[in-house]
Amino acid sequence: MSTPTAATEPVVDRLATEPGDGLATTTGAGVAAGSRAVLWLALPLAITAALCFLAPLLPLPDPNEQNLRNTLQPPVFAGGDWSHPLGTDKLGRDMLARLLHGGQLTFIIGVAGALVAVVPGALIGLAAGFARGKVDAVVSQLISAQLALPFVLIALPIIIARGQSIWVLLLVLGLTGWAPVARVVRAEAMSVRERQFILGLRAVGASGARIMFRHVLPNLAAVLVVLGTLQVGTAILIESALSFLGMGVVEPDMSWGSILASGQDILKQGWWVSTIPGIAITAVVLLVNLLGDALLVRYDPRKRQY
Amino acid sequence: MQQPALDIKDLRIEARTAGGVRPLVHGVSLRVDPGEIVGIVGESGSGKTTLMRSVIGLLDRNVRVTAGTVAVHGRTVIADGVDETRTVRGTEVGVVFQDATRSLNPLLKIRTQLREVLDRHRPDLDDAQMRTVMTEILERMLIRDVDRVLDSYPHQLSGGMCQRVAIAIALIADPALLLADECTTALDVTTQAEVVALLNELVHGSNVGLAFVTHDLALAADLCDRIAVMRDGRIVELRPTAELLADPRDEYTRDLLAAVPAWADLGDGNRPTSAPAAG
Repeated sequence: MSTPTAATEPVVDRLATEPGDGLATTTGAGVAAGSRAVLWLALPLAITAALCFLAPLLPLPDPNEQNLRNTLQPPVFAGGDWSHPLGTDKLGRDMLARLLHGGQLTFIIGVAGALVAVVPGALIGLAAGFARGKVDAVVSQLISAQLALPFVLIALPIIIARGQSIWVLLLVLGLTGWAPVARVVRAEAMSVRERQFILGLRAVGASGARIMFRHVLPNLAAVLVVLGTLQVGTAILIESALSFLGMGVVEPDMSWGSILASGQDILKQGWWVSTIPGIAITAVVLLVNLLGDALLVRYDPRKRQY
Repeated sequence: MQQPALDIKDLRIEARTAGGVRPLVHGVSLRVDPGEIVGIVGESGSGKTTLMRSVIGLLDRNVRVTAGTVAVHGRTVIADGVDETRTVRGTEVGVVFQDATRSLNPLLKIRTQLREVLDRHRPDLDDAQMRTVMTEILERMLIRDVDRVLDSYPHQLSGGMCQRVAIAIALIADPALLLADECTTALDVTTQAEVVALLNELVHGSNVGLAFVTHDLALAADLCDRIAVMRDGRIVELRPTAELLADPRDEYTRDLLAAVPAWADLGDGNRPTSAPAAG
């Protein structure tokens, strides 16, 4: 039986050396890796957003300046030239300028659209899940009713009645977005309020409002971060879809969704007009969602190590 | 004469369920004096936790007190369907729950959690005084590295340490009554012994009365001055520990004693603690 001894020896070696120098560095590296993930996801998003919002200061042509003698120029990587790095659209407008200017509205609608859904949704869900009883019964029915209505059925009448503007768009995003958020937050709040430390807080005489906002709400932070970031992505996608249907942003304003929509009838002659904003939307939504996951890992104290 | 820390008289508690009204506690009377530890022993479902919850008014929604009175430190908090337990929570009554690691908010440092109770119950203190009170109370819990504990999150502390912090939170506003609901059940045996020793030292010789709820008769025998044995919502026997162990009158108490493995093997004459031999 000499082989087992030989086989176990390296293992024993490893066990003997690892706990000493291993533990401290792995935990430290864990935090560093978490921070690094957040950084590497936030950085490209921040740079993209900065480029979009600084676009008026950059040496770019006016995004609405037409040049009908220079339409559908391909981007440089598809045989075009550097005068229009991302080509031009069917009216000869510079795609790079349009992409960066359009990003402004896309980012604004993404963030504001998430806020108008998550803030009321979280408060309503928290109140229902924490108070239970009649409040919960009413809110639950409202959530079910809201979720039963197709999005388009809410969005189109409002847009038709109120006209197309960013405020109407935010109203639609809020009206349609609060219910799924409230439903998740309500369920989470119900589970947190049954935890023992909440009973302990009642036992030391803490008030309901204090328990709700100071103790239950922070324990929902993880859920809220995830819901919030997902909602940013959803808002951007909804805006794009509405603009695609001609119900969103109107000329001369532009967003990635409306630029994408403007290329739909010329896909064969100028695929880049739709594809480039499409890639931008996909990349930003993906980054935002990954950032949500990374933030969750980084800022949950239970996952923090010292 | 000193006011009893807890005085329960003929308390009845019912639960309304889908199957109708089910009585949980039928006419229990119990007194805990200052500086005394009274054990409430019984199997699961005997109503001991319900009894304790009623004292702080934290019964489940479908459960309510139907008759009887509860007085804490001379102040009647439950009588004739009126429930004023809210006014004594945290001030006159402190509670320690079963699983210490889950009875603290995982997102806040111990310092913040202690501070919050002080902010509520001792708003007269300034920052420095509050720091002193927090340090002192943790030192009373026999915690050595107080500063490290104060700056820790619950998940960074052991179960026993969390339970000490929970006891500190329960005692920080200087209550007359401490309720401990299975507060050692989730701990390993050595830690359990430490917490029991701590409770023993904190209560005996102080003005705090302790109602110690447990299913573990051996543990209660170690710690309590008197033991109430509960079964099916009634106290079947309530006597000083030594008497109860030496000469259990109720058949159920005898069953419980027989169920403690070590004692059953030792035979009647060799029961631990100061129990005098039977007969």
